[in-house]
Amino acid sequence: MLKVKNLKKKYNNKTVLDIDYLGFQESKIYAIVGPNGSGKTTLLNILNLLVKPDKGQIFFRDQEIINNSNSKILEIRRKMTLVDQDPFLFQSTVYSNVAYGLKVRSLSSIVQQNRIKNALEMVGLPGFENRKVDQLSGGEAQRVVIARALVIEPEILFLDEPTASIDQKNIAKVEKIIAKIRRELRTTVIFTTHDLSQAYRLADEVISLLDGKMIKQVQENLLWGEIVKEEDGLKRFKTIGNVKFAIVSEKIGPAYVSIDPTDIILSYEPFQSSARNSFLGKIVKIIEQNNLVKLEIDIGIPLVVIITRESFQDMNFNLGSKVYLTFKASAVKLY
Amino acid sequence: MDFIIEGIQKAFQLIFSLDREIFSIVLLSLRVSLTAIVLSSLLGIPLGFLITIKKFFGKKLTIILMNTLLAFPTVVVGLMVYSLISRRGPLGVFGLLFTPTAMVIGQFILAIPIIIALTHSAIQGIDKRVEKTALTLGATKLQSAWAILKEARYAILEAITTAFGRVIAEVGAAMMLGGNIKGSTRIMTTAIALETSKGEFGFGIALGIILLFIALVINIFHHYFQSRRV
Repeated sequence: MLKVKNLKKKYNNKTVLDIDYLGFQESKIYAIVGPNGSGKTTLLNILNLLVKPDKGQIFFRDQEIINNSNSKILEIRRKMTLVDQDPFLFQSTVYSNVAYGLKVRSLSSIVQQNRIKNALEMVGLPGFENRKVDQLSGGEAQRVVIARALVIEPEILFLDEPTASIDQKNIAKVEKIIAKIRRELRTTVIFTTHDLSQAYRLADEVISLLDGKMIKQVQENLLWGEIVKEEDGLKRFKTIGNVKFAIVSEKIGPAYVSIDPTDIILSYEPFQSSARNSFLGKIVKIIEQNNLVKLEIDIGIPLVVIITRESFQDMNFNLGSKVYLTFKASAVKLY
Repeated sequence: MDFIIEGIQKAFQLIFSLDREIFSIVLLSLRVSLTAIVLSSLLGIPLGFLITIKKFFGKKLTIILMNTLLAFPTVVVGLMVYSLISRRGPLGVFGLLFTPTAMVIGQFILAIPIIIALTHSAIQGIDKRVEKTALTLGATKLQSAWAILKEARYAILEAITTAFGRVIAEVGAAMMLGGNIKGSTRIMTTAIALETSKGEFGFGIALGIILLFIALVINIFHHYFQSRRV
């Protein structure tokens, strides 16, 4: 229903987005993943027709949009909506916030009342109509913002980092709401996230962006952390869970790395080799995929390892098995 | 000392007996100043808004100029408007000099830089996300501008009360342009000036008390609006 072709966008002479082709189908959930500055937000702003690309075309139901009249663009823009990463609530009540999109469309107040009631129920905030927005918690505010978007009954809902700035308990709630939106409203949802596991949990399709370009396969084991120089003079990558990998790197500081799941060797005993990374972990998940088996192993953080079905059977791995993971410093790919 | 105490006694007598002359002067003051404020708001708020959101050549200079004009001496405004509307001036044919309209023009010129400059700072203080939020929810450009103004409503009301406080209390322009004609262009400030010089302290003090009372009411509104700003 929505697609882009040969899309290019530059800011200050730096290309921030360069996409040959990207298409979205009706009533599916899409996750756009990638590190900060990879162009996720710019892409959402362009898809939502808020920012014009320097080059390229956008099609909504096979109709080219950008070169249309302003009123036509407005008409299509009103079929979608975007919830920002750091959303803003008008200084007023919950009701008048949620009503905003309906007011600008001049819908009758009876329709407004009904839709607002339903939308607030949908996000689990029934009866919040008369609350002042400054009395809401962060998680409640986030859900009011989603209700404000849903009430429009958009065909496409864009969510920019919907769970980036809320606590764990509310993340689960927002994730449930996203799943519910698709199930009950059949809305196409396109959201960005840092959290690869969240992307896989919620989305039918995961789109991976890096430096404004789409990368073919989503990197498993994409980790956020910091490259530090240790006392021994060697550089290591320290993850959020405080696990440290040997890494080959010129720079230090915050970074994204990924470890190809097929580059990790599993064994029951530690073994001598030239590989500098070796960790003891526990198998927490086993997913069989045709000739391959995907294992999730907890070494303080979850890492995915892919091995062939044959070696899986030979090694007799089970849930809870303690295994050593071994991989070379050069297998830790730095972005 | 006695004349002051007598004056105050007389003043309260005049106020509580709802003296006709006093109240016609008060009403004219309010009428002139309110008209000037409504007109300057209608022009100044949109201008202040546009100056803030549009990029144009000389934007900084315009803002500096507006801020300088906040302290425009009222007699200079009086002089300027006088030279325009006096019989020999370019607008002399309309016969506006020494009419309430002339005073409205003078006060309008005093108020408009205040409204523009304070609207500018009000809009500038508004969260940059308001416009985008409105647009994502399907607003047109005009509707999103309205959303910004609405968010700035208390700060803009503050601008209006500030301007009203200035024009209701000014005397120079009103004296020069209105001429302080009894029953026609005599307003509170010009009446106080005249009656005091005539030795009619009671009359002057009565008007002074009412003027202070109006200033108090304006300030109560002003503080209310200020407290509602976030």
